[in-house]
Amino acid sequence: MVTKTEETQLNQLEIQVDNAGGGAWDYLCLVRDLKIRRSEKVLKHGSSILNDPRKRSALGPDEWTLNEQVATAAMDCQCLGVAQNCIKALQKKFPGSKRVGRLEALLLEAKGLWGEAEEAYSSLLEDNPLDQAIHKRRVAISKALGKPSVAIELLTKYLELFMADHDAWRELAELYLSLQMYKQAAFCYEELILSQPTVPLYHLAYADVLYTIGGVENIISARKYYAATIDLTGGKNTRALLGICLCASAIAQLSKGRNKEDKDATAAPELHSLAAAAVEKEYKQKAPDKLQLISSALRSLKI
Amino acid sequence: MAEDLVLDTAIRDWVLIPLSVVMVLIGILRYFVSKLMRSSPTPDAKMVKEGQVVIRARNLKVGANFIPPRSFRNRRFYFSNEENGLLHVPKGEAQNPQAAMFSDPNMAMDMMKKNLSMIIPQTLTFAWVNFFFSGFVAAKIPFPLTQRFRSMLQNGIDLSTVDVSYVSSRSWYFLNLFGLRGLFSLILGDENAIDDTQRMMQMGGFGFDASKSLGAEKDGLDIIQHEWALPRFEQRAESVLRKLVK
Repeated sequence: MVTKTEETQLNQLEIQVDNAGGGAWDYLCLVRDLKIRRSEKVLKHGSSILNDPRKRSALGPDEWTLNEQVATAAMDCQCLGVAQNCIKALQKKFPGSKRVGRLEALLLEAKGLWGEAEEAYSSLLEDNPLDQAIHKRRVAISKALGKPSVAIELLTKYLELFMADHDAWRELAELYLSLQMYKQAAFCYEELILSQPTVPLYHLAYADVLYTIGGVENIISARKYYAATIDLTGGKNTRALLGICLCASAIAQLSKGRNKEDKDATAAPELHSLAAAAVEKEYKQKAPDKLQLISSALRSLKI
Repeated sequence: MAEDLVLDTAIRDWVLIPLSVVMVLIGILRYFVSKLMRSSPTPDAKMVKEGQVVIRARNLKVGANFIPPRSFRNRRFYFSNEENGLLHVPKGEAQNPQAAMFSDPNMAMDMMKKNLSMIIPQTLTFAWVNFFFSGFVAAKIPFPLTQRFRSMLQNGIDLSTVDVSYVSSRSWYFLNLFGLRGLFSLILGDENAIDDTQRMMQMGGFGFDASKSLGAEKDGLDIIQHEWALPRFEQRAESVLRKLVK
């Protein structure tokens, strides 16, 4: 996750570079360190540095890292010619290198030649069975081919080995959701909450999945996780507020026929009315013309 | 015995400064040589997996109160299960890590190289100091010391009445040995400021000891009592919203 200071620094550099104020190399280094995806800008400024022979020689050995960065950015923007040139330059300098091999396979993927790319990745994996990036590219290929079950299989095998990679868990959760395998998705979100309990996004997603699975207990848990999200975001997350209102009405409906007192319901009795009030307040501020709609919807929920 | 010996400034020019300069240069040389000789370690799949298992088990311990009780119990069972739990190391396998280290030829070579690259410069410099710079008082330490230090610090000086604060150049060598770390971090960049003291500590330790850490994590997990923190969140959310709506 990028911190606030880094983000402001990045934006400043970006504005500076866009207005031709120099500092392009610093911007590129920062993007590379933070691993964020600003492919258009990287491509524009990176190629301007590479095409200018004076600036290029000023870089020294960093020229090759820049080539790699520009190649991946070009593939992201579908400028395959630029990518091809960069990769050719790298191949001349470092023949038989694993890193360059990875870039070549990435180029095959970008061109849409999935079979060749898959073969290239398998051969790279034979030499180097513990390379995380290559495993992930294979999952990406099967996802692009529209075979989420294959992707899930590959990803679970990857996670058996590298089980602390939280990005992989997130990807797996989304794949399960696309296949509507909610219980497995819930498991993945639990893993994410365990590794990063202060990120409200995961609590929110987990609550959504629990609500979707249904059943009184799950909806009660979902309400708790929506409450956690509200707590972590200071009440600003509209989705969590609406989630609480929906949970309250669902619980009321589902436990209509039952006599047992839900002890959790008395733990925070005013929660859903407060949530409704907060939603209305936010709509008043941000979208006042829709206030009528939301008020009537909330009123119908309480029934 | 409070007489103050006046030390020749030539000692400072010809002993203290050259000795420090030589040690800095040797440190830099050693850094570059180690960079050339460094072989990239090929990670073993088993070791990678164990490392990741430990991280995941640690996450479970830290975040245990954020997930529902049933999920926590499932995961704990998965980890500490007697038959095929991930953290369970059967008695026979808890092998001596040292044996494993020495049987792996690559790692043995690496360790030897590291040790050699440290011992040889140290020995040579020490011998050089003793040969050229012994037999006279080199410096005065600004604080008083007890008589016990005499044998250590005043090695070349054969007078027993000289104040212990006056030391020989050997002690200056040791001072530099332990103290140049800050200088190296300035010159070589922050990560490379390993000076001799850290190297010596690394010589003693033996790297990642997998079976012990797995056992430790398992014990840690077994101890935990799960207390679901989420109900508290409902009340906190209530108070947050109350403040917001006012």
